[in-house]
Amino acid sequence: MAIDRNKVINDLSQLKVRGDNNGLIPAFGVLVQQLPANFWNGFSEKILDAAGDDLADAAEGLLENAAAECGYHTGYGIITSEEFNSVVGPMIEEKPEDILHGAYGVFTAWGWANAEITELVPGEKMVVRAYDYYEADVKNPKRPFAYMIRGVSRAFMDLAYSKPYPDGFGKFACEQTKAIEKGDKFAEFVVTKA
Amino acid sequence: MSTTTKKNGYTSLGSKITYDPEQKFDNKKMRHYSDGKTFVLHCHHYATLFTQLACDAEDMGGTTLLAEAGRETFGEVLSDYYQKHDIKELPDRIAIAEQYFSFVGMGKIEFNFAKNDGFAIMEKSHVDEGWKKKWGNNETPINWMGVGYIQAVWGSVFGKDPAKCTVKETQSIVCGASNSRFSISW
Repeated sequence: MAIDRNKVINDLSQLKVRGDNNGLIPAFGVLVQQLPANFWNGFSEKILDAAGDDLADAAEGLLENAAAECGYHTGYGIITSEEFNSVVGPMIEEKPEDILHGAYGVFTAWGWANAEITELVPGEKMVVRAYDYYEADVKNPKRPFAYMIRGVSRAFMDLAYSKPYPDGFGKFACEQTKAIEKGDKFAEFVVTKA
Repeated sequence: MSTTTKKNGYTSLGSKITYDPEQKFDNKKMRHYSDGKTFVLHCHHYATLFTQLACDAEDMGGTTLLAEAGRETFGEVLSDYYQKHDIKELPDRIAIAEQYFSFVGMGKIEFNFAKNDGFAIMEKSHVDEGWKKKWGNNETPINWMGVGYIQAVWGSVFGKDPAKCTVKETQSIVCGASNSRFSISW
């Protein structure tokens, strides 16, 4: 692997953003906002509580899908951005595998999760391990709670191995097999073909 | 925005205060912090899909829950900031609330509170602009995050229980208006 993960994280975690004169942050082809993680966790907890056991699967699916669409569109914006190309671009030897590893550097640098790929079978399977993430702050969830990491991880596999953007969404699925919020030391995510 | 909207009541008019958060990246936990609170970047796809989920789950109070999440989160952010910086003057508190909204990319908002009611005008809105980019206009307002934010501002500025503040979006960018307007009562 040619990607210097520490350099990617160090360089891209220093980027500071703030709203423009309109209070908006247009970046990477989307509008971005920087909100407290508690807001996203708070609504997720509330909607899952309201859904109860009967509708939990449906609610979880929608939370995961929100992250997947975010990961697909913003992920594409990131890996085609000037910032990504200037920091990660010179390290890329094998496409799309090095791009995927670089994307998890950005994923970490932006504070989504301290996560990296631990296994990659091109076009087939990816295993991601996360050592810290904001969704782990939720206390005593009934089930693994990292919907954001699940959604974004399968979206990244779509970007790497499905049809070119924007026609390749939804070809992979992700399962969270370990969870800090459930007592594991780290979280693990297994992405395979849907 | 016309300054005539600011002639009466409590506004940020006259305040010279500037929102200045302490931001840092913890390279052990790999988290970003703003005034000690974890924050994270997300795009308009995420915000609008959360909003759509809330709207679709209306039979279980989805939009109220989304507003509630905003009310609780932003109420804590603003109250902690006022306390940390010993901000007591109402114009300064309102100014910080307006600046925070823009700083984090939620859009552009101005508040005007009278004795028993008030209003907010949102010239720009991340959620509305994002919804329009993703799906086009909508027949009804969708900015439940904004409703929660406005409740949080009222509660934090006046030191009251934000749940006792009623906010209604009366005009909406996502419905085709040039700005969004919210009535506030308590």
